[in-house]
Amino acid sequence: MFKSLLQCSGLLLCLILLSLNSHTLLAQAAEPPTESTPEIQAKAILKAAIDNWRGMSSYSEMTMRIHRPDWERSVSMRGWTRGDKDSLVRVTAPKKDIGTGTLTLDKGMWTFSPKVNRVIKVPSSMMNQSWMGSDFSNKDISKADEIVHSYSHKLTAIHEQDGHKVYEIEAIPHEDAAVVWGKQVIRVRDDHVMLSEAFYDQDGILVKRMDTLEIQELDGRPVATRQRMLDIEEEDHWTEIILHTVDFNIELADSVFTLSNLRNPRD
Amino acid sequence: MNISLLSQLAWRNLWRNHRRTFIMLSAITIGVWAMIFMTALMRGMVDQMVENGLNTFTGHIQIHHENYLDDPAINNSLPYPGPELIAELNNSPAWTTRVRVPAVVNSERESRGVMLMGIESEKEKALSFLADSIVEGRYLKAEKEKGVLIGKKLAEKLETELGKRIVIMSQDPDNNIVDVGVRIVGIYQAELRATEEQFIFLDQGYTQKILGIKNQISEIETREENFRDLAARKTVIESKLEQNQKIQDWRHLNKLLAATLGMMDGFVLIWMLVVFIALSFGLVNTLIMAVFERTREFGLMLSLGMKPRLILSQVLFESLFLLVLGLTLGTGLAWLAIKPMESGIDISVVAEGMAKMGVGATLYPSLETRDILTANLIVILLGVSASFLPAFKASRLKPIEAMNVN
Repeated sequence: MFKSLLQCSGLLLCLILLSLNSHTLLAQAAEPPTESTPEIQAKAILKAAIDNWRGMSSYSEMTMRIHRPDWERSVSMRGWTRGDKDSLVRVTAPKKDIGTGTLTLDKGMWTFSPKVNRVIKVPSSMMNQSWMGSDFSNKDISKADEIVHSYSHKLTAIHEQDGHKVYEIEAIPHEDAAVVWGKQVIRVRDDHVMLSEAFYDQDGILVKRMDTLEIQELDGRPVATRQRMLDIEEEDHWTEIILHTVDFNIELADSVFTLSNLRNPRD
Repeated sequence: MNISLLSQLAWRNLWRNHRRTFIMLSAITIGVWAMIFMTALMRGMVDQMVENGLNTFTGHIQIHHENYLDDPAINNSLPYPGPELIAELNNSPAWTTRVRVPAVVNSERESRGVMLMGIESEKEKALSFLADSIVEGRYLKAEKEKGVLIGKKLAEKLETELGKRIVIMSQDPDNNIVDVGVRIVGIYQAELRATEEQFIFLDQGYTQKILGIKNQISEIETREENFRDLAARKTVIESKLEQNQKIQDWRHLNKLLAATLGMMDGFVLIWMLVVFIALSFGLVNTLIMAVFERTREFGLMLSLGMKPRLILSQVLFESLFLLVLGLTLGTGLAWLAIKPMESGIDISVVAEGMAKMGVGATLYPSLETRDILTANLIVILLGVSASFLPAFKASRLKPIEAMNVN
């Protein structure tokens, strides 16, 4: 689920958001009622996080580093999110990519490229292609709360780390869920910072993993500020997202999440 | 002088120099054999292309929404046929309906563009190769089927296997993305690897549910008695269709196939002519030699009062006998060569190349009477005409001069 959150837009953005809300969450998730089964607990942890995050808005600035054995490139971006559905990401550097943007609304996803001066709706055939050349797919970016509804969850372990409780949740997709993975294993800290998310294939082999490398206090909350998506099967292939600033619960006009704003920025 | 005497003379002349006759005879025999044998192989190849083509979800006649062929999108679908149309379709030996829309399949590691086919599993059996080609797992059940059938090649490309889940993504009529996870219940193997990569199969009802198109289909396909003559059937079915529905036969749906079939006849004729031209040089040369050798003899005959016309006929008869003998042997040899191969020639060594032409790894030669007739007619008619030159020469000899040749 965290993953989905992430995906929802400025993936990381969402993540971050999640982690922020910790206070209320803690109350609900960290102390699950004793009579509930591990399955329910696990789902509650995820659901509480999402519910809490829903309706929130954010503005952030970040850098994405795409690393390959023979090259590396950085893209700076600004992102806006609202709720778990709406998001807008726009590139601010390097120069040749300035203005390139991605907008996700309820069910659709659009990209804008100044070079062709066209807004393109991302068709299903491209959903699995890489998002701006990174290790994230378009689907990763656009799918929101899938991990709560399309998976069954199990709380497999709780342990202590750096003075925090860490929940390890195993999520297995439902039979007809549009998910290729055999299972996902998510580690969440009790203050709702996601520590890692691992993607396993249907033979139980690890395919890719997202790790949180740095956690900082931003806008008054602990936030995962550096996260790395690692392709396990290709040596030295990863994408890192580094969060520089973030503002939560800000007022965002409806006009932010529109196709015309995607094409003609007004900020 | 009557014909029997003439032909007797010609026949005996033929065997005066039997070594030369045998050489010429074998040339004709091999030529005719090559004409018929190679034609049978080519015909076999083309027949197979057509059969494969029709079996690969083309059938004989198809009905679509009028815009479907230009844009095979989900919006261009038709309602499932009503009772009146069904009654008419039942006059065909077989028919079925399909949902056919572009889709993308994903596994953990790969994704591919494919054609998603929502089939009526029972009816489909009579129309395509699919039901007989399952190599792993099973075919689709008639009811409550949520599994998917994919091709062997596609499974390799996706790095997935029987029993695993894949995700199918497509679009609903409002252009929204729809996606669903399905389990692979069967893997099929087609004659052509390209087919294996192109099509995946789901139950029709389930497909409609996923895509949000209740009771809508993309195409109706029928199979008729004879794939060559469909005009009458088309007219009958067409009268039962709605305004925005279009009916087409396979020649229109698979133009390449239709053109190939048409081109084949021309091809066969050219091939035979080429072989004949090579042959005719030998034939004419042999006859000229025979005429030169017998210049004195012809002079004597002419002096004794034989008419030039009869000399001409005699030489032509000689050529005719030679040709008929050669043709009989050649045709017989070709028949002998092809018969044992009719159960199929294994050409898997070159299967990859052949697959590009739409032909499988086994070649079934097809010996057609009209090809044998064409070959024989060409050789007899053109052969006799080619012999006309030496024969004419012989008949125009001046008796005195001819007798004086040593």
